Amino acid sequence: MTGPSDTEPRKVTTLRELPQSIEPSHDLWPSIEARLSGVSAERADADGTVTWRRRAVRMRWLAAAAMLACVATGVWIGRSLLPGPQGNGTPLTAETRATGESPPGRTAAHGIYVSDPRYEHERAELVRTLEARLAALPPPAQAKVRASLASIEKAKADLEQALGRDPSNALLQELLVNTYQDEMRVLTDVHEASEPGRGI
Amino acid sequence: MRMVLCLSATLLVLVGSAAASAADDRTFDRVVPAQPRGVVELSNVSGKIEVSGWDRSEVSVHAELGSSVERVEVSSEGGRTSIKVLLPHSSGQGGEAELKVKVPKESEVDVSAVSADVTTTTVLGVQRLSTVSGDVGAELGGGDLELKTVSGDVRLKGHGQPARLHVSTVSGDVHLEHGAGDLEASTVNGTLTMSLDSARSVRARTTSGDLRFVGKLSRGGEFEATSVSGDLNVRASADGGFAYEVSSFSGEISDCFNAHPERASQYGPGTRLEGTRGEGAGRMRLKTMSGDVQLCDRP
Repeated sequence: MTGPSDTEPRKVTTLRELPQSIEPSHDLWPSIEARLSGVSAERADADGTVTWRRRAVRMRWLAAAAMLACVATGVWIGRSLLPGPQGNGTPLTAETRATGESPPGRTAAHGIYVSDPRYEHERAELVRTLEARLAALPPPAQAKVRASLASIEKAKADLEQALGRDPSNALLQELLVNTYQDEMRVLTDVHEASEPGRGI
Repeated sequence: MRMVLCLSATLLVLVGSAAASAADDRTFDRVVPAQPRGVVELSNVSGKIEVSGWDRSEVSVHAELGSSVERVEVSSEGGRTSIKVLLPHSSGQGGEAELKVKVPKESEVDVSAVSADVTTTTVLGVQRLSTVSGDVGAELGGGDLELKTVSGDVRLKGHGQPARLHVSTVSGDVHLEHGAGDLEASTVNGTLTMSLDSARSVRARTTSGDLRFVGKLSRGGEFEATSVSGDLNVRASADGGFAYEVSSFSGEISDCFNAHPERASQYGPGTRLEGTRGEGAGRMRLKTMSGDVQLCDRP
């Protein structure tokens, strides 16, 4: 039988045999402090993420509202300013409001760029009497004037098509207004030239 | 047989003299006194009107009248002379008359025609000429010019004397040589071909017609030309140079001084060429939608 050796763990039989305190092998506080700071940083990060998410959500709602506003404005412009095939977009002139139809030679952008009632009235009158006035001109002049009016119509259509691609283009807007003026000049010249006893 | 021959000869002489007499009836000549700087108004529907200036203080009218012309009416009162070719009320168009009129050279001339061609020479006063389909040829004598045609072509010849020139056609071509001063020209689908020896201001506009300009801007002169689809070809020198601004939506821009056009907008179509030649005293603006633009700072 062998006696207890030094290498064997000693058996504790009473509480008094336990030490009153045990000192750690090294200072544990720095690592604890580091861990505590890490936790608060994570918490802070978590709080920031929440704020950002809230902001993002709010921004999404704002963007959606802005989109809706844009669509609504576009629809309003389309319905109230731009002439449509059903005539629902031509209310800038009293004439089109009354008839619901575009007069001959009137193009899509006409109502946008031209809204003077006196101009509208005079132009309508000149267009109404155009055929009779043309008939009073010498035949070669009639053909040339018709070709010129066709050129003006084409110019207006081309300009409007280009404006459709670039609505804010100042050059195109200026040229379109010039073309309206040229059309009015031709109509007036034809009117004056065909008056008996008067030249242009 | 001898009797028959004698009768035939007599008949021929009678018919001939009657025809000659009738022809004489269809010419008209008249001279009326006029003021050296008065106004002469002429109107003729069809045929020709030729006006020339002379040194006398009187107006001379020579007219050859077609069969359907009723008469020529000439009146002169208070510095205003009026010459009208009158057609019967039932007559449509076609009553042709050829008028040759001489006026005091400093007169103001006011001509109105439908299909008659109009020519003026050596008139130094203001000229107001209008036709529907007749062509117009006018010599610029230093007086202002206001000219309108619907489909007639226009030829103007100046001598470098400054004046205010206002020319508009619907489909007629305009050809101007040796003009000077201020020019305003417009056409829908006619061609504008203009040369000015010294221009203070030029404003030209076409819809589909082309524009060609050769000339010189006076110091501080302004040039502006626009078209929808017509090409703009401008060769202009200028005392003191000019600042230029050329823009086109879909046409090409080129120049003779190695400037490079840039995009008009980052997001949209269109090109623009801007810069200065010389001191930049004058101003040059060329604008078109689909026409091509060529700019050169020398004629």
